[in-house]
Amino acid sequence: MIQPSRSERIFQAFNFLFLGLFTLALLLPVLYVLRRSLDVGAFGETSLSLIPREPSLFYYKAVLQDRGVYQPFLNSLILTVVGTLLSIALESMAAYSLSKRDLPGNRLFIYMMVVTMMFSGGLVPSYLLIKGLGLIDKFPWVLILPSCIGAWNIFLIRNYYWSIPASLNESARIDGAQEFTIFSRIVLPLSIPVIAAIALFTGVGYWNTFFSAIIYINTPSKFTFAVKLREILALQMEMQNQFERLAVGQELLLQNLNMEGLYSAMIVISMLPIILVYPYLQKHFAKGIMVGSIKG
Amino acid sequence: MSSLRGRRVFTQTNITLYLMFLPAFLFFLIFAYLPMPGILIAFADYRVSGFKKWVGLENFRYIFQLPFFWEAFGNTWRFVILRYLFTFPAPILFALLLNEVRLKAFQKTVQTVSTLPHFISWVVIAGIWSTILSPNSGYVNNVIKALGGTPIFFFSKPSLFPWLFTGISVWKEVGYSTIIYLAALAGINPELYESAVIDGAGRFKQSLYITLPGLAQTILVVFVLSFSGVLNLFEPIYVLQNQMIISTSEVLDTYTYKLGIVQAKYPLATAVGFFKSTIALVLVLAANFVSRHVTEDKQSIL
Repeated sequence: MIQPSRSERIFQAFNFLFLGLFTLALLLPVLYVLRRSLDVGAFGETSLSLIPREPSLFYYKAVLQDRGVYQPFLNSLILTVVGTLLSIALESMAAYSLSKRDLPGNRLFIYMMVVTMMFSGGLVPSYLLIKGLGLIDKFPWVLILPSCIGAWNIFLIRNYYWSIPASLNESARIDGAQEFTIFSRIVLPLSIPVIAAIALFTGVGYWNTFFSAIIYINTPSKFTFAVKLREILALQMEMQNQFERLAVGQELLLQNLNMEGLYSAMIVISMLPIILVYPYLQKHFAKGIMVGSIKG
Repeated sequence: MSSLRGRRVFTQTNITLYLMFLPAFLFFLIFAYLPMPGILIAFADYRVSGFKKWVGLENFRYIFQLPFFWEAFGNTWRFVILRYLFTFPAPILFALLLNEVRLKAFQKTVQTVSTLPHFISWVVIAGIWSTILSPNSGYVNNVIKALGGTPIFFFSKPSLFPWLFTGISVWKEVGYSTIIYLAALAGINPELYESAVIDGAGRFKQSLYITLPGLAQTILVVFVLSFSGVLNLFEPIYVLQNQMIISTSEVLDTYTYKLGIVQAKYPLATAVGFFKSTIALVLVLAANFVSRHVTEDKQSIL
């Protein structure tokens, strides 16, 4: 073991300090929002503490009692569960067919998918199609169907299937098992690692659904949580702009501060599911990137 | 039974396999291929009531003389340039520093914290930052007030927005983008460092002659792949946008949305979209061309 030199130790100390401060800077905004959501005593004060002065769940209760807020939350939950299950089911089946190299038409299907990874019709044509199909405002299907299958995910799953020893399938086939049985009883259970990883990423995507919801959903009771958040954020920013343009009274200021508290509670609520699955996500994303680097 | 080059196509096994692929087939056909001919709307007079007539390049001529279009065009490029100046190199630097950390627990903690924002949606990110930067009660303005300054209205200053956006992008993506570089760093043969130390190379020279060349291939791949999505700015920009900063925040994507969906000017929006995808395609092909000529084994990324 070589003794670390003086300059080496100085570098280590600085690096440690820098990364530590940087991480704190990354964390600070989230911690501050958390404090803001728990603190009803924050009106107009300029405290820099991250500990709530008058801790209370007031804002959370207010949020959860407001149908206009909890309905979008439930919508996002439904969308995430239904969407993820459907996506995984369709992608894992399609990947199984494509994993059979000698299936006539296999190459054609692959080309068909690769082309979609490079070209798309664009916003207006897609919108007109959805409109033409009568899917506008059809929650949750309009938020699932147009994006429920990812070509890339199919390739990832297919590559994983290839790593399963063929002898397992062969012995099942000799025992007289049909293709679908082999898929559902042998291949799929053995592919849980890749399926779980893709399900997590897909689920996060559905939970964060925003763009398709503002385009395809018109009825407020069918909004996703992200759309609701954006609606309040826009109001909030508009209010702040008013403060700059004209000197407004104390009343509006208080109203704005109160809204910030409510809004912070909504932000925390919307982050909760992500934070809950985060340890599992973390276990997978290194692998996810590795799987992605293998060319199919 | 039909056959293809002597192989039987519709065996029971194959029928099952085709049925399993059928939903995906229909999905790609309907939602990916059916909209494609719709790009022709860019060359037509097309109203909410339907197709009127072909107009050639008239729609393009029209958008090219709109000041708003050029504003959105310029803003888009400003965000792209800022991205490659800051958002792109940040994780490389971060990975290099993180890689030097001996204490694995500390390294893991930093990674865990810094990766989280990647999974949080842009809407929520926008909410977090508007709370932090709020002129009334935001943390940053509280610090400014505590130091005796006047609060800054961060989200109403057009000149500030591009920097604000770049900063928030770095904050959100630096941790996640670091993963791939750390993996590449872990793959560098430690014997290279040992022999460099014996040759008397210091930390800086080791980084310059071993670490960076070892990372070069990964950086190039990430660089080329990043081109394909570089103009897709809708969600991050749209959620942070407000009327007072529209002059520096409107990009081609948000402009297309407002023209096409909000105002229902289908041909104009499609023309803007077409213009954008053409640039995106040229960028990807150019990046691929460059990478093929720069890498030693002349490999193409695509």
